[in-house]
Amino acid sequence: MNPKLEALFDEPERAYLQTDELNALSQFVSSLPERITLYQRLRNEEVTLMQSVADALQQQFSREPEEKLKRSLQNAILMVRYAAMAMLTDDADIVTKRLETWLPEIITAYETRDIDMALYKLIKTQFAGRFSPTQMALLAPGINAAERLITESGSPAESEEEITSETLVSLF
Amino acid sequence: MISVADLLVDNRLPSNYFASDVYVRGTLELGLLENRRGDRLLALPDALMKSIISGLNQETGQATKYVLRNCGLWWGKNFYARFCEELSDYYQKGVAELSMIEFVKALQECWRTHGWGVLALNTDHQMKGFLVIEIKNSPFTLHPIQASQPSGALETGVLQAFFSQLTGRDLTCVQISCESLGADCNRFVLGLENRLESVESLVQEGQPHSAIMQMLTQ
Repeated sequence: MNPKLEALFDEPERAYLQTDELNALSQFVSSLPERITLYQRLRNEEVTLMQSVADALQQQFSREPEEKLKRSLQNAILMVRYAAMAMLTDDADIVTKRLETWLPEIITAYETRDIDMALYKLIKTQFAGRFSPTQMALLAPGINAAERLITESGSPAESEEEITSETLVSLF
Repeated sequence: MISVADLLVDNRLPSNYFASDVYVRGTLELGLLENRRGDRLLALPDALMKSIISGLNQETGQATKYVLRNCGLWWGKNFYARFCEELSDYYQKGVAELSMIEFVKALQECWRTHGWGVLALNTDHQMKGFLVIEIKNSPFTLHPIQASQPSGALETGVLQAFFSQLTGRDLTCVQISCESLGADCNRFVLGLENRLESVESLVQEGQPHSAIMQMLTQ
């Protein structure tokens, strides 16, 4: 759950919750049915949604090796799952917290940044055609958090490139 | 064409296994802090680290670093086995089938989540047969063992055992820079024993790590 909401439950010994704190809680709770509906759609339509993204991606990067596209797609599917969870719990930080030390370096090492950036554009346009603006607004914080992780990944250093292809055994 | 259904055959996509908010948990009513597999974790007070070193210094004098290194070797050997077991359970494939970046990222995240600092692999000298591990914010080097000498004997042992098992070679590990001596991070150089013979004395002389690496790779 959103850390601000979660923090409401931290200190019952401090005082009773105030009206504005309870309002924030009600607001989240009243948005839950819509969040759950959207989550269910993302879950049920995962393959269809991501297949349309995959087809568009393959058209756009027809010269890239399929392995590379598959790797990016797998990461994108993972990210959409995280974004869906972020949407359900109203906690976009979950994406950053779990993945910020992990994903950018993986992307840098495999040099898939350009593909990944294009992928997020495709996800946004494809999803916008299928979901309502309200639903997109709910999903956006998570997707944007994931996109930021990719934008922040650097260009690969020579050594990182080697890490993906070589095993450490061969170092000595 | 790429089939998304094929990418999702087992419907799970490995992610950051060691993410701290999912990795560290516990059965706290029983006084147990545990990892996500239910193995017990311990919080190690800094005062205990300090007292281990001062206790060893008092009882063994010069031997402290050898004792700690030995402890590190044991720890590293077990750590490697457990680490590989956890990873292969999570990825549902053998560690040998993981790409090196997946393996290294997992090791870094594991290090970070346990509160052992931020670990990085420096492969600048790999063509010459040396691997340098850089660790920032290590809790193990805070307390000096001997004046003006690196204090990462425990980590030296861990890394030596870990990477020896990983590579299947008998590697030696020497610490060439130390946070406790004002360096920006702890650096450990790994390589074959006969190629690292001279390093120990260079470190004792107080040579900077860059000079040591230059002499090693000349």
